[in-house]
Amino acid sequence: MSLLTVEKVTSGYGDMEVLHDVSIEVKPQEIVTIIGPNGAGKSTLMKTIFGLLKPILGQIQFADHEITSLSPDRIVRLGMAYVPQVENVFPSLTVRENLEMGAFIRNDDFSDRISEMFELFPVLGRRGRQQVGKMSGGERQMVAMARALMLNPQLILLDEPSAALAPNLAEVIFERITAVNETGVAILIVEQNAKQSLSLSDRGYVLAGGRNRFAETGENLLANEEIGQLYLGG
Amino acid sequence: MTTLAHIPQLLVYGVISGSIISLGGIGVSLTYSILGFSNFAHGDFMALGAYIALGLFTLFTGLGIPSAPFGPLSFGFGFILAFILAIGLTALAVIIIDRLLFRQLRRSGPIILMMSSIGVALGLRNILQFFWSPQPHYYSQAIQPAVSVTALNIRIKPDQVFIILVAIVLVVLVHAFMRYTKMGKAMRAMADNATLAQVTGINTDRVIIWTWAIGAGLAATAGILAGIENKFITPELGWQMLLSIFAGVVLGGIGNPYGAILGGMVIGISEEVSTAFISTGYKPAVAFVIMIIMLLVKPTGLLGRKD
Ligand SMILES: Nc1ncnc2c1ncn2[C@@H]1O[C@H](COP(=O)(O)OP(=O)(O)O)[C@@H](O)[C@H]1O
Ligand SMILES: [Mg+2]
Repeated sequence: MSLLTVEKVTSGYGDMEVLHDVSIEVKPQEIVTIIGPNGAGKSTLMKTIFGLLKPILGQIQFADHEITSLSPDRIVRLGMAYVPQVENVFPSLTVRENLEMGAFIRNDDFSDRISEMFELFPVLGRRGRQQVGKMSGGERQMVAMARALMLNPQLILLDEPSAALAPNLAEVIFERITAVNETGVAILIVEQNAKQSLSLSDRGYVLAGGRNRFAETGENLLANEEIGQLYLGG
Repeated sequence: MTTLAHIPQLLVYGVISGSIISLGGIGVSLTYSILGFSNFAHGDFMALGAYIALGLFTLFTGLGIPSAPFGPLSFGFGFILAFILAIGLTALAVIIIDRLLFRQLRRSGPIILMMSSIGVALGLRNILQFFWSPQPHYYSQAIQPAVSVTALNIRIKPDQVFIILVAIVLVVLVHAFMRYTKMGKAMRAMADNATLAQVTGINTDRVIIWTWAIGAGLAATAGILAGIENKFITPELGWQMLLSIFAGVVLGGIGNPYGAILGGMVIGISEEVSTAFISTGYKPAVAFVIMIIMLLVKPTGLLGRKD
């Protein structure tokens, strides 16, 4: 049983193909990491899965739905959420308003869910009325993740959650990612420098030049010398 | 000395004119930040509202709906009813224009959208001229005496007090809407980042409809208030104010509705006070010069964002 299946997807921007024949899979409640150098097409893959780019070839299935050409607002309703690499918060809104926007499609009372997010990210709970644009990079990343979790997704896509963060902050973020995963949410992460991410992943893929290179357990990828030299900085 | 003695009175005129400019500017600012283009048809939305109100008022008078003036004001129940319905009908008309035109061009980028808004501006003005002719039409022919406030050395008409109060009430309502309602927050979110809004599941098409509705409703209000102040309306009414409105929006910080309010007020006051020193004919130049200076000194405007 698989939650997300990306099958031989070719995708890109206009006429420019960035991804060629990429296939990946995420099972329920797994953490899967895709690593690859800058420009490999990791963000392009995320955007294609989430409907911001239409694949030229190939298929994408999610939770028994064909989502290959669905728009992002349809995909979000099926239980997938996405945290983009950059500009992933609403800076002029407060922390609480960002979370409210995450629950925009809910018409019932979601204050319980906000409280749960504040428990998961205590830093945010203390600063609910703060404008997000004035917060630090690590705090913004938490706002972005909490916003994406508001609809209780089955799968969340995280595009370089630790990029541009100091190592100790990155550690906090990964620790929170593990906590999110323990609540039953499957997680697909893409990372450039991915030792930390791979070590907590069930499985990993290597993406380079827009193609799948390796697919392995996280441990095996970490142990693989060639990958270590090529993609993990030795 | 005589010049300076006029200044309190010119400030009053400036606040009245600034109220109207500000109401127009909020819509321009919202369209810019949420839909991403400068809407040159906004002035003609004002004129459309003013003429819809005129049409309804004429109709209501014919139907015998009471129109005796309220107290010292120059208009009564029939006109207020026409005023309120014109706000709704203008919003509806603008939403239809969006569905027929702007929505189809949404992906074509800001230049195409801006140019098509110029087309809409010309089209609307021609429609108004066709039905009502280019000649002025009067809301009221009655002469309303001004009331002297000796302590402040000013004179003000009850209609003018009404204009200022309507503007204040609407600004407070817009503020409350943007701050506290789900749709208002979604509008701010979409102004921040439209792609992220879509990814988050915000119904961006509904946000766009609300943006037009609010902008057009305020435009209609501004057009009707301008008609009350001037006593007459022409199809050119909004187009003639567009430079002042854009100057106010740029001055306050384009894309920030609060900036549009502040900027509109500063432009209105500057234009009126300038007449104490230079010829009235230079009023549009005052708005233009302020806009250019702001663009040179601080392009993001008084309340603009840093990014
Ligand atoms: N919006 C875009 N338009 C055109 N090309 C793009 C765009 N975004 C990324 N690219 C190109 O696609 C390739 C892959 O980029 P990206 O998916 O962002 O890589 P990664 O996330 O792995 O660093 C790069 O060559 C990049 O220049
Ligand atoms: Mg990337």
